[in-house]
Amino acid sequence: MNFINSLIPSLSRTPVVRQGHRDQELGDTVEPDYEVKETEEAFGLTVNLPGVAKDGLEITADDSTLRVVGKRAWTRPNEWTSLYRETTDATFLLELDHDNSINAEKVHAELRDGVLRVSLPKAEAIKPRKIAVS
Amino acid sequence: MRIIQYHTPRTRSFYPASSLGRSPWSGLETEIDRLYNLALSGATKPASAGRFNVDLYQDENNAYVRAELPGFKRDAINVEVVDGYLTIEATRESKEADHTSEAKFRRSLALTDEVKADGVTAAYQDGVLTVTLPKKEEAKPRKVSVAVK
Repeated sequence: MNFINSLIPSLSRTPVVRQGHRDQELGDTVEPDYEVKETEEAFGLTVNLPGVAKDGLEITADDSTLRVVGKRAWTRPNEWTSLYRETTDATFLLELDHDNSINAEKVHAELRDGVLRVSLPKAEAIKPRKIAVS
Repeated sequence: MRIIQYHTPRTRSFYPASSLGRSPWSGLETEIDRLYNLALSGATKPASAGRFNVDLYQDENNAYVRAELPGFKRDAINVEVVDGYLTIEATRESKEADHTSEAKFRRSLALTDEVKADGVTAAYQDGVLTVTLPKKEEAKPRKVSVAVK
């Protein structure tokens, strides 16, 4: 069996999980709408996080993943009864793999009116480079 | 989901796959992963097709409409009550390198007779618009004490 696994590694792996699932710490999560744009210097990430204030937002970047967690700032007052719902109270969770292609130390983020704009400068290693021929 | 949906493998052409200790399947596997991720993430759904989500609430004195409208300027949001309908309209201009494009979002909700057309207020915070619609006096729950003789 080990031999087969070494030949076809996918046999020993866990299946892909749908994003927007139950997280152990966060409870129900939902993946927000987002957009990634690319320039020569950086990636620009725009995430729609309606109802998330600065306090409830958490962005973590490590060597391989960028993780955005947005908790809703508003909770329904007790006297309010809901008649009709289209939104959820689930926490926003977005996980993006970047495979070390960004410079995690220079990430800049701005949240305004429920829209998060993150600029992710590219790591030096993946920028196009001109090599002088001697 | 990966930040770069797909890029041409760089290393493959320099080394034979076996010398890196990689299985000959790994290229195919990455590709299959990518397709699965793409299908499961709902990347095919339109970000927002001219519609936004609304919630309706009520309490004793008011009815409330909460609409998710991330990233709008306050003066680009228009709230109107006409003929028993509440209409929320929002426009957003986005500047690309060479042109600007305008996106318009609009929703109408039918109001019940309980709601007073005047005295409607709206507030916008953290990308959520909350419209407060006061109820008419006669629609509010009333407490009548009856004296028992």
